[in-house]
Amino acid sequence: MMPMNYAILKLFEDGQTYDADSVMFALQDNYAGFRAFKKANVVESLMAAEKNDLLEQASYDLDELGELHIYYRATEYGASMIKSYIK
Amino acid sequence: MSNSPSPQAEAAMQNLRSRFFKKGVILAIASGMIYGIFSACITQGMAVGPWADWYGDNTVGLSTFVIIYVLGMLGSGINDLVSSLWATGIAGVRGKFMDFLRVLKTKPGLVMIVCALIGGPLANSSYIIALQLAGPIAATISALCPSIGAIIGRVLFKQKLNLRMGCGILICLTASSMIGSLAFTSVDVSSNFLLGLLFALIAAFGWGFEGAVGGYGTTLIDFQISVSIRQSISGIVTIFFAVPILCAVAGNIGLWPMLFGQAISSPAAMIFFVASGLCSAITFAFWYKGTSMIGAALSMACNGAYSFWVPFFCWLILGVLFGQEGFALLPIQWAAAVIMVIGIFLIAINPLDIFKKPKEA
Repeated sequence: MMPMNYAILKLFEDGQTYDADSVMFALQDNYAGFRAFKKANVVESLMAAEKNDLLEQASYDLDELGELHIYYRATEYGASMIKSYIK
Repeated sequence: MSNSPSPQAEAAMQNLRSRFFKKGVILAIASGMIYGIFSACITQGMAVGPWADWYGDNTVGLSTFVIIYVLGMLGSGINDLVSSLWATGIAGVRGKFMDFLRVLKTKPGLVMIVCALIGGPLANSSYIIALQLAGPIAATISALCPSIGAIIGRVLFKQKLNLRMGCGILICLTASSMIGSLAFTSVDVSSNFLLGLLFALIAAFGWGFEGAVGGYGTTLIDFQISVSIRQSISGIVTIFFAVPILCAVAGNIGLWPMLFGQAISSPAAMIFFVASGLCSAITFAFWYKGTSMIGAALSMACNGAYSFWVPFFCWLILGVLFGQEGFALLPIQWAAAVIMVIGIFLIAINPLDIFKKPKEA
């Protein structure tokens, strides 16, 4: 089992786009028991990864409840960093 | 991009980005302030109990080498050991202890360990030795670390550093130099003093490297885990390797258990190390987190205001609270603080944006 932050970034290796909710859905089997497994933490991890050019924004919009969803994908640089640093 | 987002979505997006940016700036500024409290606590911790004798009457007959180098390293190491207990304790309470152990075995964990060694034993001890040799100007010289960190961030991670940000960093450095100029007029420029400046520069490089690389690493590693690694590695290596080696170089390895034992068994000193350890756990956590959120250049400029916060909190805690003399702040230091705020503001915000029509919230 890898550290939670690694698992969040590792998801993006498949080239797909994910928002915080879909990240949490994909990781819930292994990480739902973690105290740090909260949406606010996942949102900040994704935004920090974007700030550092590992991820880039793919799209965003509001859902019917007025909640913002930002979808990210790995940048070329980010994909190579994730592949090389997170085994 | 798929479909165009609605204006409401765009407004929500701007709002989220703005909150994220402000949080990063606040964390980076707070890290510099807490560093000031840390400096006051460790200065006081190394002035009471056995430290008072070692640096004062020296009844045990320590050599000059031991007083300058070994004691500085010992103080830094004890602080980091105590801080590692705080940091791993906080990470444990937040449910991250197992992740802390997992990260240690990975490549980013190894990078963080290297960062800890450079920013920890190397830079910390250099800073404390510089404080002993050159006085408070060490804090000012070591505040060069924002520009070093910004350059490292730019070279290694292609982080943005435009002309406006460069001007802001220059203004911050000018403010630091204003405070530093005081030391040159009030202190004899002896060879010890110049050696102190050299150590302060080594500290600046170490922290610049650490801020850029460690802050970037926090994109991969949770910031509380990063700090736990940093303080644990730094504390263990300093106390159990660096200090004994220096004692051996001083010609008496038996000094190590004697000094370490006396220092940690002094409640009068340890109470301040407990406080300084907590402050360093928090200041590094905020620094790493802030850097991952707003980049090395801005984060380190905000954090670099510690060259004002250190004398400010030394004056407040040691001067006002404990009634010690020699910590009063001069008008030029207050003026430098205002100039630093202008510099940080310039790095953070394009002044021309203020005159643009605000977007709908």
